[in-house]
Amino acid sequence: MSGTREIRARAIVHGQAEGPALVSAEEISFLGDLDIRTGEVVGEVPSIKGAKVGGTVLVIPHSVGSAGAWRFLYQLFVHGTHPAAIVTEALPDSSLVQGAILAKVPIVCDPAEDVLKIIKTGDRVEVDGTEGVIRVTQAG
Amino acid sequence: MKLTRAEQEMLDGTHGEAQRRAMEGLVQLGDAYGAEDMVEIGYAHVHPGMALYAQDVELMEELVEIGAKMVVPASANVTNVDTDNWRLTGAPEKLARLHQRGVEAHTKLGCASAMTCTPYWAGHWPTWNTHMTSIESGVTIFCNSVLGARSNRDGFFSVYAGMTGRYPRFGYHLDSMRVGTHLVHIEAPLETTADFSCLGFHVGKTVGTEVPVFTGFERRPSLDDLDSMGVTLAVSGGVSMFIVPGITPPFDSVEAAFAGAKPVEEISVGQSDIEAVYDLFAGDAGSAVDFVHLGCPHASFEEMKDYAGLLAGKKVHDGVEMWVTTSRGVRSMAAEAGLLKTIEGAGAKVITDTCPMSCHFARTTSPDADIELPEPPMRTMVLDSAKQAKYVRDMVRCETLFTSTEAAVETAVTGRFVPRFGQSGGGGRP
Repeated sequence: MSGTREIRARAIVHGQAEGPALVSAEEISFLGDLDIRTGEVVGEVPSIKGAKVGGTVLVIPHSVGSAGAWRFLYQLFVHGTHPAAIVTEALPDSSLVQGAILAKVPIVCDPAEDVLKIIKTGDRVEVDGTEGVIRVTQAG
Repeated sequence: MKLTRAEQEMLDGTHGEAQRRAMEGLVQLGDAYGAEDMVEIGYAHVHPGMALYAQDVELMEELVEIGAKMVVPASANVTNVDTDNWRLTGAPEKLARLHQRGVEAHTKLGCASAMTCTPYWAGHWPTWNTHMTSIESGVTIFCNSVLGARSNRDGFFSVYAGMTGRYPRFGYHLDSMRVGTHLVHIEAPLETTADFSCLGFHVGKTVGTEVPVFTGFERRPSLDDLDSMGVTLAVSGGVSMFIVPGITPPFDSVEAAFAGAKPVEEISVGQSDIEAVYDLFAGDAGSAVDFVHLGCPHASFEEMKDYAGLLAGKKVHDGVEMWVTTSRGVRSMAAEAGLLKTIEGAGAKVITDTCPMSCHFARTTSPDADIELPEPPMRTMVLDSAKQAKYVRDMVRCETLFTSTEAAVETAVTGRFVPRFGQSGGGGRP
């Protein structure tokens, strides 16, 4: 039996979404690490290489590849391969935030607890990007 | 965030859905970055709508449908197709037609459909302390560092800023960000714009997203030199602003550039550092090439003069395709000055609105499958910009060789690669 754990975080992009967690130990570049048509992680992101980000709550330390990030997140949205929400430790760059607002992907950052340890890939996660809350229900 | 009455009205939808949507996005962005209020902007360099990508031109058309207008002077960024002369480039007709819809959308928005990465050469020249926005990192760095305007590196919200005349006050809109971090001592002779391209590429890797301050130039760098250096600082590092005391307003000394503080790091750049950048894109002198490109960033009128001077009375070699890329504004000026006749007379093509890394040659950025792109025709491209050399190699997956403008023209005329320093390259320099 598993309960639901609530973690406070900073609200960055408004909205609510939920999905299975996809937790990356490494940073991700939205410009290059993801195949837009399939949502597959194709870049050098060892902990989640080959996984598909579509519909997941993507949990990452931070994002890189600032300049074009918005367009690639938006292209994932156009192809229906985008993550449902993003949880990031560091404040994401402004381009990714702009893409997430366009693609209606809630983002929270700076969580009060160590989400990279607490959340496991496959856990059920709800993200409230308006209130700044993450709710985690362990899988199985 | 503190909003003025006019801003609150936009957010409330008093002036329609377009401004409501734009202001809502800008307020969220400002909250995310801790902005206290909005600045009034005087210029926006915005997203053009990219025909290569699914639903991207439509993004601009949708804004037109809901009544969007640019309320400040605005220009559109470089894009995927030459609007008028697309047939010369081998672009698919489907792509060109979609792109032309994007141009029409910009006209309706009241935005100059400049479709260039150097709008300043075509007359968009924001002045000191003008708050602005730019989707093009090269425009951000030129306007911050040469003109003294205030800009962040932006994405799509450059459009929202243009539609509202507002942008949240954070980043390079604040005095506290416009301070030097690294002091760079130049100890190499820099002769060509390509040498300045190397300097930016090298220093960008060291300083990342910080603010380098340059000292020790043998002469005052030209506007084209500064432009060339800026774009490579922006791509190899993510730099938004550099300071050259005596050039960058309002900094008249190294001390002023650091606001009295000490640099976090001092760096010296020597001849070997400049040569090392050429060596990243090196090939054997005399090896066969089939494509030569000049005009990254999009050429200025001065550069068009240089190209015409180098090409006068010459012929581009059989089997070599040569492109000069520039904005439509500069192309018109060059036509009136008779330069176009010289350049085209030599067999080079003058292409506007796009460039090799941005056009239908792109392979790795997931262009829309419906466009049915042809295979890129070239195997080896010679260029005079480290930025273009990097991105063509990464995105078009074609070999790139980087040299000076003069040597690139000689390469085009002989069909054989001429390196910048006459080295054999590829690690085999004597």
